[in-house]
Amino acid sequence: MRERLSFHIKRDSALHRLNPLTKLLLVLALILSAFLTPFYWTPHILAILVIPILSVIGRVGREYLSTAFRLILPAATFLFLMQAFFHPIGKEIIFAFYFLDMTLESLMFAFGNAMRIVVMVSAFTIFLLTTHPSELMSDLSRRGLPGQFAYVIISTLQILPQVQAKAQTIISAQRSRGLETEGGFFKRAGALIPLIGPLVFGSLVEVEERAIAIEARGFTSKHVKTSLHEIPDTPTDIFLRWFLTTLIAASIGLKLWLS
Amino acid sequence: MAFVNLQNVTYKYPLTKTPVLQNINLQVNEGEFVAVMGPNGAGKSTLCYALAGFVPHFFKGEISGSIEVDGKKSSESTLDEWVLNVGLAFQNPFNQISGAKYTVFEEIAFGLENIGVPREEMKDRVDEAMSLTGISDLADRSPYSLSGGQQQRVALTSILVMRPRLLVLDEPTSQMDPIGTREVFGVVRKMAEEGMTVVMVEHKVEWIAHFADRVIALKEGRVFLEGKPNDVLTSDLLVENGFGISRYTSAAREAKKQGLWKKDKLPVTLFEAAEGFKP
Repeated sequence: MRERLSFHIKRDSALHRLNPLTKLLLVLALILSAFLTPFYWTPHILAILVIPILSVIGRVGREYLSTAFRLILPAATFLFLMQAFFHPIGKEIIFAFYFLDMTLESLMFAFGNAMRIVVMVSAFTIFLLTTHPSELMSDLSRRGLPGQFAYVIISTLQILPQVQAKAQTIISAQRSRGLETEGGFFKRAGALIPLIGPLVFGSLVEVEERAIAIEARGFTSKHVKTSLHEIPDTPTDIFLRWFLTTLIAASIGLKLWLS
Repeated sequence: MAFVNLQNVTYKYPLTKTPVLQNINLQVNEGEFVAVMGPNGAGKSTLCYALAGFVPHFFKGEISGSIEVDGKKSSESTLDEWVLNVGLAFQNPFNQISGAKYTVFEEIAFGLENIGVPREEMKDRVDEAMSLTGISDLADRSPYSLSGGQQQRVALTSILVMRPRLLVLDEPTSQMDPIGTREVFGVVRKMAEEGMTVVMVEHKVEWIAHFADRVIALKEGRVFLEGKPNDVLTSDLLVENGFGISRYTSAAREAKKQGLWKKDKLPVTLFEAAEGFKP
């Protein structure tokens, strides 16, 4: 079974020490300014300069780079190629390959969009790398997010891999009793049926037991909840949140005003 | 007045025809360690749920009679208040993991967070509870990466840390090896010495004989036998009614038929058997 279930990397850095909500606002500000900006080069500057600097401040530069090369860049490259060749704008063809042609306009358009995607995914990656999920949830529930809601989100992240593992066990069990799971489409689809029953009904029973277990540990207690982890919230955070909120409002305002 | 007091409790789940608990009368004193045994379907788990307030608050269904713990009636309380006094750990350890926490330490602190224990006290209590049940070395592991027996210890610790006055355990050692089982019984005994009242469903009769103050045998939703472990566990009625008995008791029963067991009382544990078979 996998030991690590979250992206979070435990380190001490300026980003780690920020309040989760501040970081969430930072992510939102980055994404909105990348998408709403009237200046062509904003997403590029964010992706190439601001995001790497942030990852270094958060002391997760190496982890970020490895995610960027393995995940973000391939996806962005694919998006870039699709749009560069297929987006029907511009007249002057600068590059042709059989039936595929690229214009200067479609190239610029594709490049800008790819960079926006890089900014969006990268911002979230850095957020996840520097934020402990339970810290995020306790902070949000402290600010009035219902405890049940926070629980649903965070437990889903954890329990999904367990459900997957259980499905695998059931498949193995059914196969050992002669169920054929390989072959054509219909055979494979048919093989799913004996899986669904045990998985769904089993999960329902589990849900009931889990409800009892957390109830027994005071989940619906009317006491004000406390948190094991100290959640940082300094004057810097408050200042940054004001700043970021203004930035977000400004980028939305600018977009509305210009359109 | 007994600390736990069940008077004529009869209970039926919403979808069943016959009552699962029938006219149960049960008194447990403060600091007493009571073991509950019985065949499948005898109502053991339901009895646990009833003590812990989940019957009827969580399961609904029809209930009559009264359930009292520490002078308070279950029917006049709400579940979230009731669980502060009565802790419940049950059999399947996997479903007792909250799923909201990433390490064992956080998992055990979950209940304390819910009831608003201050951070420093919380850390001390979690540390103390983990060293009591011998899982301090698991503190930074993911609860999902543990073995069944280890998860059961985590589940037990998660309840112990909340310091309930009444501890209700439903087969808490079912996935443990003999050493783990012995340790858990030892911990439970220690809690009882310190004044915690314990009701524990368990099949491992030798350990019951060693550690429990009293045994209750349930059958078909009724209290079938009740008394000191050695009296109940060696009773002929148990064998005749399909209860599991200790292999030492079985051996001595056979020996008695052939005139090889001379004592009046049958043994439950290895030690008693060895003593009795001495020429």
